[in-house]
Amino acid sequence: MSSKFNKELQTLIKDKVISPELAQKIEQYYATKDIGKSTKLFTIFGVLGALLIGSGVILMLAHNWDDFTKLTKTILAFTPLLIGQVLTGFSILKKKSSTWKEASGTFLFFAIGACISLISQIYNIPGTLGSFLVTWILLCLPLIYLLRSHAIVLFCIIFSTYYAVEVGYWQYRNSETPWLYFVFMLAVIPYYLQVLKKSISSNMITILNWILPASIFTVLGTFIGHNGHLGFVMYITLFGLLYNIGKLPVFEKLRVFRNGFLVIGSLGSVISLLFFTFRWIWDESSSRFNFDLQGFYVSSALFMLSAITLSFVIWKKGLKKVNLFQVAFILFWGIYFLLFTVEILPVVLINILVFALGVSAIKIGADKFNFKILNYGLLIVSVLIVCRFFDTGMSFVLRGILFVIVGLGFFLTNYMMLKKQQKIKKQLNDLQV
Amino acid sequence: MKTIYITLGFVIVALFQLFVPSYMIWEQEDVLLSGKVYKFKTKPIDPSDPFRGKYITLRFDINSFKTKDKVFIYGDKIKVYIKEDDEGFAKVVDVSKKKLNIKADYIVAKVTNTYDNTVTFKLPFDRFYMEESKAYDAEKAYFKVNRNNSKENVYALVYVKNGRSVLADVIIKGMSIKEYVENEHQ
Repeated sequence: MSSKFNKELQTLIKDKVISPELAQKIEQYYATKDIGKSTKLFTIFGVLGALLIGSGVILMLAHNWDDFTKLTKTILAFTPLLIGQVLTGFSILKKKSSTWKEASGTFLFFAIGACISLISQIYNIPGTLGSFLVTWILLCLPLIYLLRSHAIVLFCIIFSTYYAVEVGYWQYRNSETPWLYFVFMLAVIPYYLQVLKKSISSNMITILNWILPASIFTVLGTFIGHNGHLGFVMYITLFGLLYNIGKLPVFEKLRVFRNGFLVIGSLGSVISLLFFTFRWIWDESSSRFNFDLQGFYVSSALFMLSAITLSFVIWKKGLKKVNLFQVAFILFWGIYFLLFTVEILPVVLINILVFALGVSAIKIGADKFNFKILNYGLLIVSVLIVCRFFDTGMSFVLRGILFVIVGLGFFLTNYMMLKKQQKIKKQLNDLQV
Repeated sequence: MKTIYITLGFVIVALFQLFVPSYMIWEQEDVLLSGKVYKFKTKPIDPSDPFRGKYITLRFDINSFKTKDKVFIYGDKIKVYIKEDDEGFAKVVDVSKKKLNIKADYIVAKVTNTYDNTVTFKLPFDRFYMEESKAYDAEKAYFKVNRNNSKENVYALVYVKNGRSVLADVIIKGMSIKEYVENEHQ
């Protein structure tokens, strides 16, 4: 605690603002609060240290020292692994602090990778990077639950994503689908739920709320199969699912920036729907019913999951609390699959849908007095108009007028809400007085 | 959960963590100790892997076989049956998806193409790990040796047993490629 703070406390006692007992209590409160803070910081530095040492060991071993014999190299490969295991075992057995568990777990995570890679080097085992990552992740997943380690969860998610991207996107002429990614995520999710139940407002939950949807969003493309257009359907459904997860009652009190599911779901829905406001994408997808089975199954599974999540939200919160973003994916499915024979109607309907999404965001923003959501809605409407600027035969005058109207809309809605807010603040002040 | 259960769980996981790399070693050592050694004519090039360090990729002369069998498609795993030719190098005698009843060792390879009654494949032992500084020099050394049109001077030593194969060394001018690169440096 700073001496300045102590001096302030003494002044307050001297001026008889607070009693010496109260001053002591305040002092004690901040002293214990600071202890918590330093432990957290210590954990972060512990993990960072272990991460650097672990990566350093991998890099040093990757040099592949020719002067060493096969036996020396093998012993060297197992040494970090054994050290990591002893440290981790020690922190479990002696019930050490989370700092110990996080740091030793992080070191062990990298030691396992280093060991397998060095054995592969020594014996010239040709296995692919994908299979190497799978072995590594499988050997580390149980550590999440044994150590209750946040760092290992993060590494497992990041490396699972890397595996899926490597196998699904980066392999030349490879049509493999990284199904094991599902298994890895299923193994991680119970831990996420445990942390969620225990401390929803923790920073770890914020990180996981962003990293989980980001990972799924990155990887989904590897499950598309051979029909690109179905990929769009898949992504729009995924964004619907993410948005609905973000709307679950458990996240209700969470601030928007801590709710990655909601933000990614909302932004993703709008951006991918914007693609379908163009006519060319519908013209190109005339062959869209040449579905390959895998893509269709994945899309259907996603749709079912999204629908179940939405039903749960309706059951818990009631139908009145549902907003347009939550049902946008269902509307899209209806338009995409039922109206595929009609020429212009689907394009018009999607344009209306995106416009309605913009308006609904403006309304949510106005109801909640939230300028960010209000302007987000205005931005959706503006982008939609800019998109139409490019592909319609509207005259320049009409386009110009539209832009002026939207510009005025931005200015007026913000101004009106500011005024309303000031009025309410004033009323509250008057009441207090 | 009680500490004793967590510790027990950790011990089991730790044993698995030790078992997997140990089993990898055992599999390779078994082939090296009791497998038959073959020489494969090859050409080394130099890429690298972010985790496992520098290696040279080997492009083998043996990479295709004429066959009337048309069941192969890209990505298939096939058994490539080999024997030694008159000069002591490995030659393909047959390829098949199923195990054949012939007296020859086989290697499991991946089909990369099929055309004109010919199936092209990739042999599994195409990576030879080298010390960081030597991988590129190894590629240069190959081109230097090969300039004299003496391709038989470069070959890979591979041990084969029951379909498993282990790349033991790459030989240039009768010398291990590691020694050869070192000598070139001096």
